[in-house]
Amino acid sequence: MLLSSIFLTTSANGVQPARHIGSMEPIISTENLKKIYRIGKVDVAALRGVDLSVQEGEFLAVVGPSGCGKSTLLHILGGLTPPTSGKVLVDGNDFSYMKDAERTKFRRHKIGFVFQRYNLLPTLTARDNIAIAQHIQGDGFNPHRFEAVTEMLGIKDKLGHKPYALSGGEQQRVAIARAVVCEPKLLLADEPTGNLDSENSQVVLTMMRTLNRDFRQTILMITHDAEAASVADRIVRMRDGRIIWD
Amino acid sequence: MIFENIMHRPIRTLVSILAVAIEVGMVMLVVGMTHGMLHESAKRVEGVGADIMVQPSGASLFLGMTQAPMPVKIADRLAEIPHVLAVAPVLCLLNTQGRVDLIYGIDMASFNSVSGGFVYLHGGPFTGPYSIMVDDLYAKAKDVTVGKTLNFLNHDFHVTGIVMHGKGARLFIPLATAQDLTGSHDKASIFFVRCTDPGYTKDVIESIRSLLPKNQILSIKEYMSLMTSNDVPALNTFVTAMVAVAVGIGFLVIFLSMYTTITERTREIGILKSLGAGKGYIIEVILWEASLLSILGIIAGYAGTWTARKFIIATFPTLPVELTLHWALWAGLLALGGSLLGAFYPAIRAARLDPVDSLAYE
Repeated sequence: MLLSSIFLTTSANGVQPARHIGSMEPIISTENLKKIYRIGKVDVAALRGVDLSVQEGEFLAVVGPSGCGKSTLLHILGGLTPPTSGKVLVDGNDFSYMKDAERTKFRRHKIGFVFQRYNLLPTLTARDNIAIAQHIQGDGFNPHRFEAVTEMLGIKDKLGHKPYALSGGEQQRVAIARAVVCEPKLLLADEPTGNLDSENSQVVLTMMRTLNRDFRQTILMITHDAEAASVADRIVRMRDGRIIWD
Repeated sequence: MIFENIMHRPIRTLVSILAVAIEVGMVMLVVGMTHGMLHESAKRVEGVGADIMVQPSGASLFLGMTQAPMPVKIADRLAEIPHVLAVAPVLCLLNTQGRVDLIYGIDMASFNSVSGGFVYLHGGPFTGPYSIMVDDLYAKAKDVTVGKTLNFLNHDFHVTGIVMHGKGARLFIPLATAQDLTGSHDKASIFFVRCTDPGYTKDVIESIRSLLPKNQILSIKEYMSLMTSNDVPALNTFVTAMVAVAVGIGFLVIFLSMYTTITERTREIGILKSLGAGKGYIIEVILWEASLLSILGIIAGYAGTWTARKFIIATFPTLPVELTLHWALWAGLLALGGSLLGAFYPAIRAARLDPVDSLAYE
């Protein structure tokens, strides 16, 4: 935690954004990043040359209309899908040249995902949903990290519940806990407040802000919600597969 | 997660376990019944008390049947061989009227000389040409009592005695009657030879061979060793076919079960992949799930087979079911192997799913 390096301001929704100052190598760097999907016999360009740089500890919001390529960008940065061309460096690793298995391994250790629909495993309790991330990582269960994360996210009394017994806000907090329990370098959030009411949205955004501020967690969040985006240090706007404003 | 997944769909789990249990039960019961019948039949022949069996060449070991019975007079010549204590000619008949029954046509005096005599539980020996004696297991299975009339080979037989099982066949009629019914006058299909001492068996066999060079002459020890599924024509093929059908059932049910599971859990597989689960992890989870289902099915199969055996023995006392540890292990291994094979393709398919498509799956 480098609290001394955090510069706090107050946003419109009361959540305090922070800006980290650093001159090191960016954790994310893309150059002329393109992604073309083939649908039937038609090529559809989802990304048409994205240049983006994100510093470690930064909280970046990517906004834009539906179909502008936000989710595709997030999927590529998370190693879920390879780019068609261009360069994409995440923590110094170039996904353009990595095989699926290598990207999977990288994702296991360096990336955490938070989704709009929470994406918890329905058969597992909240505790097991969080612990499975540690299990997949292969370093075994780390009770100290688990305790710290669940304490911070305020879900300690919900750990025995299965997803269907949790509210949307609680499910999303469990999802955040799962995403950060392995201490990823990068947290990728895909519309994390998209399914939540304003009160729960506020709670989730506060959690993410806290993670970023107190644990210096790098976060890239895509959202439609301008209020949610305002929590971030930096906002990037996309349109038609390109960044049009940074 | 594997246990939770299994508990999440109890009906699917139960059906899968049941299918594997049926597979295990089918393998064990088919093998148990065929081997049981074979061994029980052999033991009954051993129970006659003879040391040597003389049959025409090419006679069936299993039922003692032959197309060309031998003259009964041979018994006298066999009796003259040194160290032969007694010779019992037997004519084997197969009743196929409604059911298949092996009937021994016996000469009571000579059969008693070889076997030491029957143990009568009810009634006594033949009282006329159409008398019949049945063993206690047959009597229990068919609810036969002394004085009852049984129809065999289109003739009515009067039950005169119920004897202790274990002396060749379950049904006995006078030799002369058997010869009349089959038109084999003065013929026999087996000669049971008893030596004055079992140690003379080899010498007596040599003597019989020189006397009857074309006949099938076996010591009872040899006969017992030959009464295996390998030596009964087509039995191994039948057992193999039944085992293959059973394994096929298990394989298909597990395949379908895991295949539908993969489809149903596409999104969950996407979630695991987003967490960094590799192909190996996904395959491992699915194969472990199939293994657990299989192991539960194997346990249920063992329990079911044991229960079925008790039921079969209680309901059909003449139908022996021989359950062995060897075949229990084989049935378990085949079920586990079939299940893993059935789960393998769905596991590979799951591992190959695109994470982005999987996460978008509704």
